[in-house]
Amino acid sequence: MSKIICSAAIRGAHKIVGMAEEKYEEALKKWGPDQEIGFPNTTYYLPIIYGMLGIPVETLGDVRQILDKCKELVPPPVSDKVWLPYLAPALEAGMATYFAEEIIEAILYLEQPDFYTRAEDPLPDNIWLGAADDVIMRKRGVEFVDGTAPGFAAILGAAPSIEIAAKIAIELQEKNLYVFMCADHEGKTMSEQLVEAGVQVGWPTRLVSFGPSYRATVFAIGFATRVAMSFGGIKPGDFKGNLYYNKERVFAFAMPLGTVSDEWYANAAGGINWGFPTIADTPIPEILPTGICTYEHVVSNVPHDKIVARAIEVRGLKVSITKVDIPMSYGPAFEGERIRKDDLYFECGGGRTLGVELTVSKDMSEVEDGKVEMIGPDLDEVKEGDKLPFAMLIEVAGRKMQSDFEPILERQVHHLVNYVQGIMHIGQRNIMWIRVGKAAVEKGFLLKHLGTVMHAKYHQDFGGIVDKVQVKIYTEEENVKEVLAQAKRVYKERDERVEGMTDEIEETYYSCTLCQSFAPSHVCIITPERVGMCGAYNWLDCKASFEINPTGPNQPIIKGECTEPVLGRWKGVTDFVNKASRQKVEQVSAYSLMDFPMTACGCFECVATILPMCNGIMVVNRDSMGMTPCGMKFTTLAGMVGGGNQTPGFLGVSKHYICSRKFLLAEGGLKRVVWLPKMLKEEIAERMKPICEEMGIPDFADMIADETIGTTEEEILPFLEEKGHPVLTMDPLM
Amino acid sequence: MTFEVPKVSYTGKIREIPLGREGNTIIVGGESCYPFHLFEGEMPNPPKIAMEVYDSEPEDWPDTALEPFADVIKEPAAWARKCVDTYGAEMIALQLAGTDPNDKDISADEAAKITKEVSDAVDVPMIVFGCSNVEKDTDVLKAVCEVCEGRNLIIGPVAEGNYRAIGATAIGYKHTVLASTPIDINLAKQLNILLGNLNVPDEKIIIDPSTGALGYGLEYCYSVMERIRMAALIQEDERLQFPIISNLAREVWKTKEVKVPESEAPLLGDMKKRGILIEALTAQCVLLAGADILVMRHPEAISLVKESIKDLMT
Repeated sequence: MSKIICSAAIRGAHKIVGMAEEKYEEALKKWGPDQEIGFPNTTYYLPIIYGMLGIPVETLGDVRQILDKCKELVPPPVSDKVWLPYLAPALEAGMATYFAEEIIEAILYLEQPDFYTRAEDPLPDNIWLGAADDVIMRKRGVEFVDGTAPGFAAILGAAPSIEIAAKIAIELQEKNLYVFMCADHEGKTMSEQLVEAGVQVGWPTRLVSFGPSYRATVFAIGFATRVAMSFGGIKPGDFKGNLYYNKERVFAFAMPLGTVSDEWYANAAGGINWGFPTIADTPIPEILPTGICTYEHVVSNVPHDKIVARAIEVRGLKVSITKVDIPMSYGPAFEGERIRKDDLYFECGGGRTLGVELTVSKDMSEVEDGKVEMIGPDLDEVKEGDKLPFAMLIEVAGRKMQSDFEPILERQVHHLVNYVQGIMHIGQRNIMWIRVGKAAVEKGFLLKHLGTVMHAKYHQDFGGIVDKVQVKIYTEEENVKEVLAQAKRVYKERDERVEGMTDEIEETYYSCTLCQSFAPSHVCIITPERVGMCGAYNWLDCKASFEINPTGPNQPIIKGECTEPVLGRWKGVTDFVNKASRQKVEQVSAYSLMDFPMTACGCFECVATILPMCNGIMVVNRDSMGMTPCGMKFTTLAGMVGGGNQTPGFLGVSKHYICSRKFLLAEGGLKRVVWLPKMLKEEIAERMKPICEEMGIPDFADMIADETIGTTEEEILPFLEEKGHPVLTMDPLM
Repeated sequence: MTFEVPKVSYTGKIREIPLGREGNTIIVGGESCYPFHLFEGEMPNPPKIAMEVYDSEPEDWPDTALEPFADVIKEPAAWARKCVDTYGAEMIALQLAGTDPNDKDISADEAAKITKEVSDAVDVPMIVFGCSNVEKDTDVLKAVCEVCEGRNLIIGPVAEGNYRAIGATAIGYKHTVLASTPIDINLAKQLNILLGNLNVPDEKIIIDPSTGALGYGLEYCYSVMERIRMAALIQEDERLQFPIISNLAREVWKTKEVKVPESEAPLLGDMKKRGILIEALTAQCVLLAGADILVMRHPEAISLVKESIKDLMT
């Protein structure tokens, strides 16, 4: 921690504790030790002292022990010769500061009962509200817990102008934050500035004018401390629980505007105990490493137009957007809409013009949340029937964002754009195709709105991993070509990354228990090389899903020791499946059809089963209606496989898994496949090629029979013999 | 060789949850065996029956259900008193059905006032159900929590969409929450985890995994309840070891079979007897699946089920 900050905080603490001591002595002389003191209408006494120490301060006499505690906590002033780390002493100084300030404020209530209004709203002649009573705290505090108000900004001092003060307040209000104001800068306070600007101040507008002194900071911190006790079930005196509760749930931060005095430093140091960082507009030293706070502790010299955005970023607050603000209706009901020729106003991509969509992650500092730029003509500048090149570049940033999540986010563009009424979206990447209907243009729809949609929906659906989103839309050929070149580079890297992921490299696999509602004992194990059998969830999807919803159906499994490399068994996986299937499945092999095969839910894309006479394996996909050589159609086979049962010889698989290097490794892999429906064979032909080459049988695809060769084992066996299919010389399957 | 009855070995136990205000609490839960398997474990607290009271006069009830309450149907507080004084109700379940925006759209403040009146009128533990509209319930139940501070009401349905708002308010005003999920064991478990993360104490959670009436999907609901109990008792699933509530009367008394008069469907037999039996049978089924609290309507159905509970407990 910065030595300058610590020294100042400790100096400040000494001053404030000294002042409390003086006030206490004076009050004691005047009223005696039995005089009751406290904040109005609260059962939490002096809440910070009560929350941290568990000591109820009811009378002046009770104050003595607290002051002694303060003296114990405040460290000696920092000497020039010592270069030790200062974090702990500064935090203790901050804590003592709050205790002392609560005492001073309590005595102020005694000396001048009308100094504060004791109401929700300011009075005509007094804007200082003072400590919130329990009624206000309950009503407002619950908003901190349920997320309607994520937290508060404790502003000390005043902005350089009334306009800037109003702007900062409005920006904070827009983020649903409470603004707790105290202290003055050169005689001016933010509260008075707002009143002067004609902004309504008071609890109902969330702009709370606590008091004119820096000491009123304790009303903000005391509020947070009470929230933890009231709504978090934290016991008085459980300081650790209280501080953690606030760090994790109350998104508060201090925003000093103006010269930071020793006393302000002392208060800021106190706030760090609660996990509340400081974001200052003056060039004070910074404390950037993560430690007590979730991210940085002190960030300084932030310009006023950026200070709210920066504060939100530093505190790790999630932006919540409730409505997609476009002139069209928006929702899943419009996903399936088609725009036919007669309704068509404008189109782009789809082979008609160049078109590309790309989602990439950037550094936090490179993305300005909510910025949507339209570069080139928009729909209000084109005629009916026009076509333009199109590129949508979505740049996201987030503390938890990983480049692995980019393709997952990008894949959402398709349905998220389709949710717009009057718009049709097909494809993805550089084969995307958008059609805009006449009705949409009449209602004022612009291409720029697609950016608005993506910004809102990424925040709504992927808030767990995305903190900031900005969108650029280009409709001029030159720019589009540039984005396209960038996109091709990115696509290549991504494809290589997916290609390079192997089960051996990754230590963590994921479970999927999404289908347990109808297949209670089924647990899908998803590894980099084995996509979920529904084809909808690959390993990266699960990884992202877990980040977004940590209590959801995709849980990480540390695979542990590999007990059977060919069958695909790991100790961690076995234990997990056993527990998650509630002891129904005791063992599972990721790569075998015969030996403890994976259970299936009912959502598999294909079924694999054995053909004993051919000594091989057949796979049939869901769309295939006809008879298969095993004597059963897909529907009959599906009945054998589903429901969470282990049926050796029958397995649910995804199309993708057929071309995996881990496909039924235990039975010999792709080499065992003797029959596929023609449509499935054609669909996976491209991806099968490299595997066939690795097997040393480049024309292997031609050796696999399909329904045109036969739909019984007797019919296909001669074909296999004629082609010299490798199964004929492989070990018997059973 | 003598024959030995094979016994299930249990590793878990359902939590005991105290309900109602201080000085007048009843306890539910505490089972260490499957429902009524008294030869294998204990059921220290027999299942309880909560009698329904509505916030406003019901419009779609058959006369057979209205008849016992005809004199109090317009006054929720009097209705509740009648349930306790005349029919010996162990608990009251206030259904704030009239708050539904598609129905009478009674305001949150009005609903809170009604709840307070009912709560003042009786001293047995009380459940308060909203209308199952996520947004409206949030407003209504928050207001109810505030007005009835310290009564330890059981507040629900608390669903995934509003668990934070209602859960937090319930903590603040010290009520018990009723975690409600749509017939799915994993969703039930997830909501319990989420409530725990929100710091709702474990002794303040009751779960409602949803109920259908006899002939209307009861078997599916039965299986889910049964599986929740299995997970809780023999699979060490701590986040499912909570007492179960079954809000069944509402489901039963809206079915066609309780409403069609005998004149229109002679094969179905006497209309009154029929309704009572369908309610009692539905209740009997969920009892066997593991329900700890039954929300019921007709006094005669209730006495049938009470008798059955008594039989099963001895």
